[in-house]
Amino acid sequence: MSAWLEIKDLHAKVGDKPILNGLSLSINAGEVHVIMGPNGSGKSTLSNVLCGNPHYEVTGGSVIFKGKNLLDMTVEERARTGIFLAFQHPIEIPGVSMATFMKYALNSQRKAAGEKELDAVSFMKRIKIRSQALEISDEMLKRPVNVGFSGGEKKRLEVFQMAVLEPDFCILDEMDSGLDVDAVKVAGNGVKIMRSPQRSFLVISHNIKFLKEQIMPDKIHILVHGRVVAEGDQGLLDKIDRSGFSEYQKEAVA
Amino acid sequence: MVEELSKTSVLTISPGQSAVFVEKQLGEKTEIVVGAGAHIRHYRLHDGQDHMLSVRIEQGASYEVITLHRGNGNLMLSFDLAQENAFCRSDIVYVLHGKQESLIRSNVRHNADNTVSRQMVKGAVGGQAFAAFEGGVFIPYERKKIDGAQQHRALLLSPDAAVNAVPQLEIYADDVKCAHGSAIGSLNKDQLYYLRTRGIEEQEARHLLTQAFLDEVFDTIAEEDIREEFKQLAAEGLQNGV
Repeated sequence: MSAWLEIKDLHAKVGDKPILNGLSLSINAGEVHVIMGPNGSGKSTLSNVLCGNPHYEVTGGSVIFKGKNLLDMTVEERARTGIFLAFQHPIEIPGVSMATFMKYALNSQRKAAGEKELDAVSFMKRIKIRSQALEISDEMLKRPVNVGFSGGEKKRLEVFQMAVLEPDFCILDEMDSGLDVDAVKVAGNGVKIMRSPQRSFLVISHNIKFLKEQIMPDKIHILVHGRVVAEGDQGLLDKIDRSGFSEYQKEAVA
Repeated sequence: MVEELSKTSVLTISPGQSAVFVEKQLGEKTEIVVGAGAHIRHYRLHDGQDHMLSVRIEQGASYEVITLHRGNGNLMLSFDLAQENAFCRSDIVYVLHGKQESLIRSNVRHNADNTVSRQMVKGAVGGQAFAAFEGGVFIPYERKKIDGAQQHRALLLSPDAAVNAVPQLEIYADDVKCAHGSAIGSLNKDQLYYLRTRGIEEQEARHLLTQAFLDEVFDTIAEEDIREEFKQLAAEGLQNGV
């Protein structure tokens, strides 16, 4: 039987530039995986390709998620299947409040699943429990999505969206970057609370302390030139901490 | 108090009067005189034959109008800031779809000193529709302390939609502050992608972004029921366009 998420020999490009060059990895339900690698190795491209960003073109390979061919689906179908990306650079949406945004998102997903739309009371309840846990004020929920927020607040709002939508597979693209120590903890706690045997994570980060103390991954993949060149358990984090990626970069070139 | 008007041809506001008008049926022509010190807010739906609005604003009076134009018939607006300290705000939202074609022409004339005008025009055009906006601001020779601003923003919701904007500023005086700008573009791809990654259908995401774009004007309507009604009327005008 194949894994819960199985990426096989994935190739993708932006314009004429190939970025993923035969990337393979698999993740089982309930696992937390980490992707590390030098800048430009394809980490963010992978997260965008998994979400179906039209800016990237898949030129080969396959992605099977819960037995379905992910690459055949639209962006919103993937989200409804349970894929969630916490953006490295969350997008500003002037004129749309976070509360409205989440209401649309939640109800779109419920409608697609054949469930009833949430009434106002149940919706507010769902929002409130999560916003309080993540120290997000009502005022922040009323303001337009990501407009005028600090980097840390934006990242916290990404974790909040993840908590509201309860996806099966969460991709966190540099969740910790640009956050102070306390904010990293809040983000890390969000992930801890959401860990479950039915939910998996793919975490992109350079922050070894964050990964070891907050994320505690099951497996680490090293990405160089759009391919996984090494895999291991948390011991690999210590090795990267000591000697960086240079060893893998040489191998990849050779 | 909100007063309903219908196909009003002449409206004379007595000095010092304050009123809010809603008008959802327009005739061929409306002439308004806003007497000294009067304060009027006027919400209008234009969705039919060609219509001409002509307003004279007297000493210390203010006239604020938001017009929702749904692409049927041409719309001509003319504002005369006739006496000192007159204020005029004349925002327009236009939504066109299908094969609609229409012209919106606005003229603001600062005929007295110390007058202020504001105009925000926002359009969303889908299908193969075509909108032309001609916005004139006229400031005659020797006028003093004039403050005018005009902004035009349009969203093209399909590759075959088109908007032509012609700002016409005629400024013959020196003591003038007059800002203006125009921008025409498509929905932001990053915003669309972001909404869709949360499970929102592409069509719905486009609606949401378009609505948010137009709401900048509608959100200035203080009366909640009128605000929601005009948002709804605009959404209906877009239904086939997005």
